[in-house]
Parts: sequence; C-alpha cells; structure tokens
Amino acid sequence: MSVPLSHVLIVASLMFAMGLGCVVAWRANVIMMLIGIEIMLNAVMLTFVGGSAHWGIADGQLFSLMLMALTSAEVSLALAMVVYLHRRKNTVNTDQFDSMKG
Amino acid sequence: MLPTYLTLMLLFPLLGGLTCALAGRKLPRTLVEVFACATVWGSFLCAVLAAAAYTAPQVITLADWFTSFDLSIPISLYLDPLSLSMTVMIGFVCGLIHVYSVFYMREDQDYARYFALLNLFVFAMLTLVLGETLPLLYLGWEGVGFCSYLLIGFWYADPANADAGRKAFITTRIGDVALMIALAWLFQLFGTLSVTKVNGMGFLMPGSVITMLGILFLIAAMGKSAQMPLMVWLPDAMAGPTPVSAMIHAATMVTAGVYLLARLLPLIGGSQVALAAIAVTGGLTAFYGATCALAQRDLKRVLAYSTISQIGYMMLGVGAGAVTAATFHLLVHAFFKALLFLGAGCVIAAMHHEQDIYKMGGLKRSLPLTFWSFLVGAACLAGIPFTGGFFSKDSILLAVWLKGGVLYQALYLLGLLTALITAFYSFRLVFLVFAGGNGHVHRSSGLTVMQLVLIPLAILGLFGGLLDLPAYLGGGYLSAFFEGLPAGDLLKVSHEQEIAMQVLAGVVALLGLAAAYFRYGKGRAERMREAQARPSALIGFLAQGWYFDKLYHLVLIRPYQACAGFFWERVDHGVIDASVDGLGSGLGGAGRLLGRWSTGKVAVYLISFAAGGALILGYLAWLAL
Repeated sequence: MSVPLSHVLIVASLMFAMGLGCVVAWRANVIMMLIGIEIMLNAVMLTFVGGSAHWGIADGQLFSLMLMALTSAEVSLALAMVVYLHRRKNTVNTDQFDSMKG
Repeated sequence: MLPTYLTLMLLFPLLGGLTCALAGRKLPRTLVEVFACATVWGSFLCAVLAAAAYTAPQVITLADWFTSFDLSIPISLYLDPLSLSMTVMIGFVCGLIHVYSVFYMREDQDYARYFALLNLFVFAMLTLVLGETLPLLYLGWEGVGFCSYLLIGFWYADPANADAGRKAFITTRIGDVALMIALAWLFQLFGTLSVTKVNGMGFLMPGSVITMLGILFLIAAMGKSAQMPLMVWLPDAMAGPTPVSAMIHAATMVTAGVYLLARLLPLIGGSQVALAAIAVTGGLTAFYGATCALAQRDLKRVLAYSTISQIGYMMLGVGAGAVTAATFHLLVHAFFKALLFLGAGCVIAAMHHEQDIYKMGGLKRSLPLTFWSFLVGAACLAGIPFTGGFFSKDSILLAVWLKGGVLYQALYLLGLLTALITAFYSFRLVFLVFAGGNGHVHRSSGLTVMQLVLIPLAILGLFGGLLDLPAYLGGGYLSAFFEGLPAGDLLKVSHEQEIAMQVLAGVVALLGLAAAYFRYGKGRAERMREAQARPSALIGFLAQGWYFDKLYHLVLIRPYQACAGFFWERVDHGVIDASVDGLGSGLGGAGRLLGRWSTGKVAVYLISFAAGGALILGYLAWLAL
C-alpha cells in the first residue's frame, strides 16, 4: 500500500467540500447542483475504496459499486425532473422554484 | 281497599300532569281543562273513600325501591289522622282551585304547561304527605318546590317574575340542605329512614343529638314554610298567577314545613330546646308577618305576609307540642286563605289586573258575592268570634299558655298582640277594597263562575270551627281523631279557663276590627290622601319587610357577587383563560417565526442541511478529542 489512508481521506474530504460548495453556490443552474452532488458522492466512494484497501476487506469496494448503480439511477431521475422543471418555468434557476414556502 | 285508594289518589294527578305535559298542546283546550280538573277531583274522591275505610294508623308498602346493603327504602305510605286530614284538605282545596283556574287563565295560551304543573304539584304534595319513608317525603318536598319555582315564574317573559322564581328556589334550597343533612344523620344514627320507626327510637339518643336534629328540621321548615329568617321569598312569589298563589303559596305547599315538624314531633319533641326554638321562630315570624302586612299596598302582598304570619302561628303551636291545634289551624287556614286569595283573584280580574288597594274601592256594590266571601275570609283571618279561624287560632294560643314558663308566656303575649294586628290589617284590606269609591268594574262570564267557587270555601272557613270545638261546647271531632297520635297530647284545661281565654282573644280581635273601622272606614278619605304622599320611615320599614331584603342583599348577595366577580374576572379570565390563551398565542408566534424559515428556496435548505451536518461533525470531533 503506497498511499496512506490519511492522504486518501484528505483528498476525499477536499472533494466533498468542493462538491458541497458547488451545490450551495451554483444554485442558478440545477444541473451544476447535480454535478456537485455527484462530486460529493464520488468523495464518499473514494473513502470507501480507501478504507477497503487499508483494511484489506472487499466490503467497501462492493459498496462503491452499489453506489455507482444508485448514482446512475438517481441522475436519470434527476435529469428527467430537470427537463420537467424547465418546461414549466423555462428556467433552471432553483430560486425560481419556491412555491413550497411555509 | 285502602292500598287501592291511596295508589289511585297518587296516580290520578300524576296521570293528569303527564298527559297535559306530553300531549296537552295537541289536545283541545276544553279537554285539557276538564281532564286536569277531573284527575284532582278523582284524587279527592279517593281521599274521601280512604277516610271512610280508615280504621287505625297503617303503613302500606306498595313496592321495594332500595334494598341494597343496609339501606332499605320501600315505597310505602303512612295513613294516620294527620296525613288523612291533610290529603282530604289538599284534594278539596286543589280541586276547587283547578276549577277556578280554568276561568282565571282563560286568556292565557299556555294552558297545557299551567295545568301540567298544577297537577304535578298535587301529585308531589300528596307524596310528601303520604310518604312513610323520609326519602319519599323528600322527593315530594323537592317536587313541590320545583313546581312552585316553575309556577312563580310562569309568566317568565318578564324578568322580574323569573327572578322571583329563582329567589324562591334558592331560598328554599338552603332549608333543603338542612333536611338532607338531617336525613343522612338520621340514617347514620338509626339505620332506618322510616318515619314510624324513627319516631319510636328518639329516646335512644342523647338530648343534644335530638336537639341538633330538631334544629336541622326546623331550618328545613323555615325554608319551605317561609319562616324567619328564610321568609323573603314568599312575598315575591306573588309574581305567579293568583290561583297558584292561593294553592301553593297559601293553602298547601307552605304548610309542608309545619307538617314535617308535626310528623316528626315524637322524635324532636324529646328536646325542649328544639321545641322552644320552633316556638320562638313561629312567634317571631307571626309578629313579623303581621306588622309587614300592615303597610303593604299590593293586595296579594298583604295576603302573602298574612300567610307568613299565620304559618308562624302553626309553628308556634307545634313548638308548644300541640299538633292537634297546629293541624286544626293548618286546615282552617287552608280554607280561608285559599278563599282570600281566590277572592283577591276575582277583584284583580275585575280591576283589569290592578293590585294597589289604594286604587280600589266600592266593590261591595259591584261584586257583592266576592265581598261577602272575602268578608268571611277576613273575619276568619282576624279571628272574629265563632268563625273557624277564631277557634283554631285560639286553640294554639291556649296550648302555648298552658305550656307554661316565662318563654311560652311571653310568646303567648306576642301571639295575642299579633292577633290584634292581624284583625286590624284584615279589615284595613276589607275597608280599602270594598268600601267607598265608585265600584266601577270589568265584568266577564268567567268572573261569575270564579265567584261561585268562593262559596264552598267560605262555608268551610266560617264553620271550620265545628271540626274541633272547645270542650265546653261538646268537644272536638279533630281532637278525638288525633287522640291516638303519639304526640297529640290532649290539653287538660278547665272550661272556665278556656272560656276566659277565648273571651280575651275575641275582645282583642274585635278591638282590631274597631280600630280598622275608625282608621280606614271612617277616615278613608284622609288615608287616601296620605297614600299619595311620601310614606313615613316606619311605614317604609314595614312595607319593605323590615328591610330584610336589603340586609340580605348587603350581607350575602353583595359579597357573593363581589366574590363571583373576582373569580370570574381575576381567576377565570385573569389566570385560567389567560394562561391557556398565552400558551396558544405563544405556540402560534413560535410557529410563525419558525415558519419564516421554510422559504421554499432549495438553497436555504441546503445551507441549513450543511450547517447541521457541520454541527454534528463538530460535536463528534469535540467528543473524540
């Protein structure tokens, strides 16, 4: 094992933070928010894989495979919803969709 | 046969009352009137038949009511001379008043309610009189109170009438509480509530307990029989229709207290203190009622105060241990007071519902039949020699004198003074209403029948003395009849003494009559002028019933209202409502505040989510350190 776990975790948390920053900051475009979510999910997968390599147990790798399947399903749904939202208001800016205010 | 008669006697008025109440509005008016009268007369017929079949005091158990545990209360009736004479009197007087009511209430649309209540009242009163167990008596006691409340406020559209009804109900309720306590205590002491058994067991208890029981029963009687200090409701009860005043607030219901005490006299007679308390209450009330009647201007209020006064006499008789004399006066009083009230009803109907006696006059010429009947009634009330009232009142005074002791002799003198005042105000009424004036009246066909009803009552009042003539005139029927009663101790008195007492009483009554003649017969015009002026302090004092109403208002009602106001505004509104309201509005405000957070904007949720996640992470990191 050439890369220590701590390095993997640092890269993963940096990726997660960047993903979160993308989601929070780029709300003018819902597709960019989806990309941010993907980056966060990838950070999680990286953590799983790193942990799996560190302890020599395959569970983490298996779980990251499941996450990939889950993510692709999620993205297909999310993109369908983006198309639908765009049809309704002709925009993808999330701030325009505030009809669920309390 | 006796059980059948007694059951039917009770069931007839109940049937009439229920029919009128449930179907009265659907039935034709004539049918309701005839039916209501027929049931009461049927009840009277049963009472007469029961009297004919009566041989000796007898307990008749009709059914079981409570049998669980130690408490055993059968529905049983007790027929003895006391209850028998009461039932016959009630049936007769109430029957006549029902007939009178048909004509008096001819204009009223609420005939079904009126007759239903009247019939139910007769049923409750008979239950009270015949009940052998005290709870049954209590049911009748409350039943008459309830009917009385509804009938006083019969014309409830006027708030004053409804208030009078409530006043009567609440005031008598104070006495009822005492009765309830006494019943519970009796059961705790003796384990039974049967009148006959309780009466025979009084000697088992120490005197102080009997005294306390006697006082409790006295308070109950004070409420129902309008004795001092619970008499304030009776003058106001005149707000009801006049036949109701005659039947309930003069002849029958208000004597229930006297009846209760007479019924339980073998028990409470064991305590001289209780007897003295009863006698003092009666004597003072008799005096109070008579003085107040002197100054009243309302025809019915004069009669109301005279009722208070006469019931005071009965209580005085019971307090002297003379059940026979008290019952004698009770019966005769029922006849002549019903007569006076019904006569007053005729006068009021003829005067377009004017009740101020200073605006009347001359009715002697225009209503001769009413005049003569009313005169008989007034003579009985005043105790003019050889009327029924003379003999009955005198037998009470005689019993009080013979009881001996300073207290009873003082009460005798008070009673004699009251008799003088009574004669005076009775004839004040007669002179003001029937003498002088123009005698212009409003006639109707009903008035003729109403006047005819007065005749039998007048005959009974006039010759009521025959019921119980003094011993020197051959002895009394009632005394012989009551001889078997445990408490009906016969008075042993020489004929000379009795004659001397009656001459004295007769002279006193005639003095009162003469005084009334000079003041209101001859000096009528002057009195009429005086009536226009402002009344003097003494007259005001008497006219307002010694300001008892004001006293109670000051001592009881004002503090009560202040308390109620405090609890309503400070406690209920200020604390309970305010805390609940505060909780509600606080939660609402918090909700609105937090609701502002849910803006519907995805970004806000995301940032909140991220911040929450950061917080949890920070917390975990802090734990790990």
